[in-house]
Amino acid sequence: MNALISADLLRRLEQLQLLAVRRSKSSLKGERRSRARGLSVEFADHRNYVLGDDLRYLDWNLLGRLDRLFLKLYEEERELPVRIFLDASESMSFGFPAKFDFARQVAAGIGYVALCGFDRVGLTIFPDAAAQRLSPAENLTESAARGALRTVRGRKSSLGYFQNLHALHAGGAAQFNPALKRGAMEARQAGIAVVLSDFLDPDGYEEGLKALVGRGFQVYAVQILAPEELDPSTFGDLRLVDSETGKEQDVTFGKFRLASYQASVAKYVQRLREFCKGRGIAFFSVSSSADLGDLLLQQLRAAEVWG
Amino acid sequence: MNFLSPIGFAFAAALPVVVGFYLLKRKRVVRVVPSTLLWQRFLAENQANSPFQKLRNQALLWLQLLLLALAVLALARPYFSGTTGKSSLQVVILDASASMQATDESPSRFGRAQSEAIKLIDGLKTGFGSGDQQMLVLVAGATAEVRQGATSDRAALRRAVQAARATDSSTRLGDALRVAESLTRDLPQSEIHLFSDGAGVDLKEFEQHDLPLLFHRIGKRSENAGIASLDVKISPEDPSQRAIFTSVVNYGIQPLISTIELRFNGQLVETKPITVPVGTATPLVFLAQQGEDGVFAVRLPLADDLLADNEARAVSLLPRPIHVGLISRGNRFLEKALAASSPLVDVTVLPDYRPNDPRFDVTVLDDVSPGFWPPGNVLAFHVASTNWFEGPISVIDSPAIVDWRNTHPLLRFVGFDTVQIAQSLAVKAPGWGIPLVDSPSAPLLLAGELGRQRIVWVGFDVLQSTWPLRLSFPIFVANAVQWLNPATVAANRAFLHPGDAIRLPLASPPENSSPVSRLDHAVLLRPDGQKVTLPIDPLARDLVYASTDIQGIYQLSIGTNRTDFAVNLLDANESRIQPGDALNMGRRGDVLPASLKRANLESWRWFALAALAVMALEWWWFHRRTA
Repeated sequence: MNALISADLLRRLEQLQLLAVRRSKSSLKGERRSRARGLSVEFADHRNYVLGDDLRYLDWNLLGRLDRLFLKLYEEERELPVRIFLDASESMSFGFPAKFDFARQVAAGIGYVALCGFDRVGLTIFPDAAAQRLSPAENLTESAARGALRTVRGRKSSLGYFQNLHALHAGGAAQFNPALKRGAMEARQAGIAVVLSDFLDPDGYEEGLKALVGRGFQVYAVQILAPEELDPSTFGDLRLVDSETGKEQDVTFGKFRLASYQASVAKYVQRLREFCKGRGIAFFSVSSSADLGDLLLQQLRAAEVWG
Repeated sequence: MNFLSPIGFAFAAALPVVVGFYLLKRKRVVRVVPSTLLWQRFLAENQANSPFQKLRNQALLWLQLLLLALAVLALARPYFSGTTGKSSLQVVILDASASMQATDESPSRFGRAQSEAIKLIDGLKTGFGSGDQQMLVLVAGATAEVRQGATSDRAALRRAVQAARATDSSTRLGDALRVAESLTRDLPQSEIHLFSDGAGVDLKEFEQHDLPLLFHRIGKRSENAGIASLDVKISPEDPSQRAIFTSVVNYGIQPLISTIELRFNGQLVETKPITVPVGTATPLVFLAQQGEDGVFAVRLPLADDLLADNEARAVSLLPRPIHVGLISRGNRFLEKALAASSPLVDVTVLPDYRPNDPRFDVTVLDDVSPGFWPPGNVLAFHVASTNWFEGPISVIDSPAIVDWRNTHPLLRFVGFDTVQIAQSLAVKAPGWGIPLVDSPSAPLLLAGELGRQRIVWVGFDVLQSTWPLRLSFPIFVANAVQWLNPATVAANRAFLHPGDAIRLPLASPPENSSPVSRLDHAVLLRPDGQKVTLPIDPLARDLVYASTDIQGIYQLSIGTNRTDFAVNLLDANESRIQPGDALNMGRRGDVLPASLKRANLESWRWFALAALAVMALEWWWFHRRTA
């Protein structure tokens, strides 16, 4: 657990709660206000008594005053489904520290805040475990961890949540769009969707994000790039091999072209940022070497992801 | 455009190498990256840079080939002849000496000099306005000749250069440089272009002159042997035979082993083998019978670089008796010395000379003033009553002999070390003669030519001295008879070097005849077959012809009289055709060949600059694609 997130950070995260812009649409009880009427301490409305209603909810004061039967209605408090899409593709295994490690830390932080708020956390990890070249034993462990992470609820589950996160491996091609689309369709209720990825899929990221937004998710996109990607230090005549597709490309790269490369990266990130902004997606781009506390406690808080 | 270092083109071999680099795949470091997505723009560019064995049409390739081509051109040091900057007057001097006929350059050194000069002419900036340049062509052969005055007319300059011919003369650049100096003295922006092999050139006289001289050296090597001297004399052993003295010099790089031919009037007389070590001269003597007047010619049958010095000729006339008249009151020393001076001498002793006496070839006056002055050449001892001297004639006692000029033919092998004189006449040295023996106060022996008369004047009576007892006395008398003999004078006159004037004394018309009775013209047949008619001035005493620029026999005919003149190079310095490394200007230093000067005319800097510009363009081009 400590490998993912420090105790100090956990303590500070405990004080936070996810802020949902929309009312929860979950069917399960929780601590979030919802449009549904149910049992809680928050009065919502009155309605006429009909035969068969629970007499415990009769408004006796109104009966005495008006001599008519009214039933008191209360707001139902439901849970907030938090779905985290974790990119575990091969490209995420790069960087020092690895992008995947940083992504897991972020997932752990967000998940912990959600679990502390009695929200349900669901982790969608893509690509599938089968795409990863693991040994049978590792595959078994991986599958078990993924299965366990599919739905996690309650603060007590946080330890298991962290352990399962720790057991994950990165590998295989991302398949970003299919993964997000499937996640959007599978979700019974929309909630908060956090996408942790480097967004470096040759097939793009637009369809997947659109699907989430279209399903009604409140989407947070966190792009994690390795320091090496932002500031490459290898120069010369290179033959670049794409870690996911295996495609080879020749590049002559020197220090004099660094600025050009960085401009290219900035342009890519900016395009992603603008795409997100246009669809109401909160976007964060961080380096895997960035301070986790700064991201969780400062940036996400400033963006009112939680408060 | 020409190139100073054509070897620089060897670097052009690098051009295919550049193309080869583009054909070769680059060896690349394989590196796995998370995604090539961020490298897309670099990938797209680089795909064009990866020909994969197939050459693609790339601007970078062309730029690099252009850059390399310009660099190769710059290395070859191109130059444009004649682009000599701002000089307003250029004086072209073509060395037309015999060594310029050497064929180590193609077609000859002179031909090469002509083509170089024409390149200079082609580069002449002509046109309207202040940038107009003028050029002047001087040919320095036997004489310095302005072939074309200062002009901007390239065609006229080219014609002048093309019409010039090399002569058989020795190198005489001094006159040409003096002319050039006078022309360029007041023009600070002027240049003198000297096209020469620099062989046998000595310009020490110009060491104090600031000549704007550019030396264009012509010539590659020295592979030459030649005849350096030739003389024909009566054989000392057998007066009926002729001794032909000659010497052969070898300035080649290998010892000369060859033969040398002697011809008389074109007929082969004798052939001798000859071996001449490198850098030395080997003397040789031929003995030959001579039945008539004619021309002896020696010839080296060689095909070396310079043919002009492989043959020499000498006009040899049959010896005639020398009639010597000794006007003396009696001097047995002198009589015996005269009789022994030559086997051909016929001495007549007279106490005085009268008008009816025969005309002598040489008249010797021994302390006698004759009643009638004898015509012809005179050897006078202690004769005061003449009109040869200006001023009073005094007498000095016991004059000491302090100096004598033994380089003169008269004093050859003659010394005055042990000669004492009791008394001598003291005269002031006249303008016609040079003192050969000097005392501290007056000349004791004078020799010279007054009018057409050769005179040797000895100021003292030989009987008043110890000279007749010395060996030098008969030698002197023999030398004097030889020097005064009209036949020797004629023979000397007939032996010339190119550029020397042919001079033939004309017989004085009789007093009572009209000047017009003399023939009014002479015909000269030159060695090249050309016939020249020379008008004879009725009042002239000599017939002179100066255009002896080629060697050979010049036949001068006046009426039925024919006189031959032999013009020979016979110059060991000219036979040494090794191109000079520099022109020696005395203390001023040497003028190096114009390659250094010509650096100003070179255009490699422009090519290097262009290469730099292309390099910058290539750099910019490369980065423009990546920016």
